[in-house]
Amino acid sequence: MMQTPVRIRSRTVVYLVLMGLTVATWAIGRAGLEGLGVSLLVLAFALLKGQLVGDWFMGLRGVRGIWRWVIVIWLVVPGALITLAFVLSERGV
Amino acid sequence: MQYKSQAVAKPYFIAAIGLFIGQILFGLILGLQYVVGDFMFPEIPFNVARMVHTNLLIVWLLFGFMGSAYYLVPEEAERELHSPGLAILMFWIFLVAGALTVLGYLLVPYSGLAQMTGNHLLPTMGREFLEQPTITKVGIVIVALAFLYNVGMTVLKGRKTVVSLVLLIGLLGLALLFLFAFYNPDNLAKDKYYWWWVVHLWVEGVWELILGAILAFVLIKTTGVDREVIEKWLYVIIAMALITGIVGTGHHFYWIGAPEYWQWWGSIFSALEPLPFFMMTVFAFNMVNRRRRNHPNKAAVLWALGTAVMAFLGAGVWGFMHTLSPVNYYTHGSQITAAHGHMAFYGAYVMIVLTMISYAMPILRGRQAANSNLSQVVEMWSFWLMTVSMVFITLFLTGAGILQVYMQRYSTDPLPFMVVQEKIALFYWMREVAGLVFLIGLITYVASFFVGGRQPEPKATAMPEPAAG
Amino acid sequence: MPEGGPVPSATYPPGDLAIWIFILAELLVFAVFFAAYAFTRLDHVELFNHYQTTLDSDAALVNTLALITSSWLVVRGVAAVREGDHRACARWFWGAFGMGALFLFVKSLEYAHHLSAGISLSTNTFYMFYLSLTFFHFMHVMLGMVILAAVAIKAAGGGYSREDHVGVETGASYWHMVDLVWLVLFPLVYVMR
Repeated sequence: MMQTPVRIRSRTVVYLVLMGLTVATWAIGRAGLEGLGVSLLVLAFALLKGQLVGDWFMGLRGVRGIWRWVIVIWLVVPGALITLAFVLSERGV
Repeated sequence: MQYKSQAVAKPYFIAAIGLFIGQILFGLILGLQYVVGDFMFPEIPFNVARMVHTNLLIVWLLFGFMGSAYYLVPEEAERELHSPGLAILMFWIFLVAGALTVLGYLLVPYSGLAQMTGNHLLPTMGREFLEQPTITKVGIVIVALAFLYNVGMTVLKGRKTVVSLVLLIGLLGLALLFLFAFYNPDNLAKDKYYWWWVVHLWVEGVWELILGAILAFVLIKTTGVDREVIEKWLYVIIAMALITGIVGTGHHFYWIGAPEYWQWWGSIFSALEPLPFFMMTVFAFNMVNRRRRNHPNKAAVLWALGTAVMAFLGAGVWGFMHTLSPVNYYTHGSQITAAHGHMAFYGAYVMIVLTMISYAMPILRGRQAANSNLSQVVEMWSFWLMTVSMVFITLFLTGAGILQVYMQRYSTDPLPFMVVQEKIALFYWMREVAGLVFLIGLITYVASFFVGGRQPEPKATAMPEPAAG
Repeated sequence: MPEGGPVPSATYPPGDLAIWIFILAELLVFAVFFAAYAFTRLDHVELFNHYQTTLDSDAALVNTLALITSSWLVVRGVAAVREGDHRACARWFWGAFGMGALFLFVKSLEYAHHLSAGISLSTNTFYMFYLSLTFFHFMHVMLGMVILAAVAIKAAGGGYSREDHVGVETGASYWHMVDLVWLVLFPLVYVMR
């Protein structure tokens, strides 16, 4: 069993980045920005945030093998499907 | 046998097998009526045969569940059953009530049966699977309450384990949800809506808890893997089964006048119902691979693994095939449903009861842990005969269903129902042949109880220690 | 091996493997829901874009910040128990529990607002998805809080130690999943149009 202490400072930096990206996402929505580019940027923020949570909070960066990638896969596959749907909707309108 | 009172399970198991034989005989009559419409008419019309086939299934599975509980609970609670006498009394009440009900179906026209039993006082009859006269339903409730009191007291006074708690919650849910059988609103949409609360929430809800608990019990006993490990898996499996199963009820609400959002809820959640069954398969094989000893009852282990696989295929895969609402729009109530129903009931519930019987019966009949090799070989033959023939029944019905859906519903030039039935008759014939093989398997199964009785049982062997590391 | 070194050291993620199987199953449900939302939106772009503006994105901001903060508090709780300080672990977990309660409170206000406006699952496809997705997540926050409380109570009673604290990591992993799902749900339902 891993018994290494958790380094708090790097987790706190990640926490602040997550807070910042959240406020940025909210501000974009509040400013009424819309369109494909904006949507995909916001989605990219979300996927990045998810990756940070998976790596640093859930501790997957210290894991090797398939479990290292489960959150990445979970972010990439729905992320790609959402991207595809939004690209198609932009074309359709 | 660790506790004397576990012996009350034996009559329950015997009755279950007896009714199972009846169910299969009526299944064969039904299968033939699909292709020879007036077979046995007017003595046993199709609707009566179908009612007996499905009702016998439910009743014998209930006998099996109760027998399993009476065997399992004392051992888990580490004390004698609260009242063995009450268990035996309820056995006879349930058996007589069940027999009278089936005789009523067979000997009296259904409307006459309704009149005789005072259905007008509290109308509950006439609904699929819940055809029992109101008085029989009341009897079922009384038997269920007495049963729950009996096992509940045993659990409360004794050691509380995850296995017995999950089993108890499952059985409690079974009894409570059955109360919706008494709710019979005039509004047809509402009627169907709550009817599913019994039917679906039984087989895709609380029964899965019973299944999980029995499987966990047999695996603990036969593999010697730590209880903690098995209980942990049981938690995860039942949590998933309940999340997907309860909201998955929505897959019955697509076309009965329920709100439209059920098409989404039902599709998404029921599409994930295979997950707990998949976990169950992984779990069962994992535990057997990690076994500490080779249990002498190989047949029971085979049934346990078979349950996991067939439940996943029948309930999981065959359920998924037609659960999404755009697919179900075409397949609803077709032979695809029949295919799914057959393999799911066999794989999940028939096989788990037979697993428990296979594990418990040798001990109930005074052996140490297992039947003789000869008896086990015959039993394993019956396993393969019944399981393989059920796979074929399912495949033939699936073939019939695909053709039916295409010709009758999907095609740009749809054909009438009876024309399509003529065209798929070959599949029905093949299904009937597979059904006969199933009966042979069932006879073989019964025979396994009567062979090799005097021969010694195989000895348990310890697993070799894994290489150091 | 120092944590965060060049070579990852563990085969399995922190916590009980069973909770990870459960987490994967849960994530799969949400993934299917997200994809269903995005593809259904294709047929109703204007409806979705219009009704999205009726949502309260300020409330969603507060809730997102609350969940992220709670996740960070849980990280600190795990760090504390690894140092052997089970009392601090309990305090951090109660803090996270409080953030979860804040989330439920704010979300309930949103629901109350919608309900008073007569909105239900049958109002339109957008609201069907919005209510379904957020409510399903809402239930997960509640379950996660039960787990957090159970861990906090056990930790306060000295049930975990520097050597044995798989339960803490198990609870933490589940809670992070609840946070993770919301991080995608928030922009998808409230912002992207």
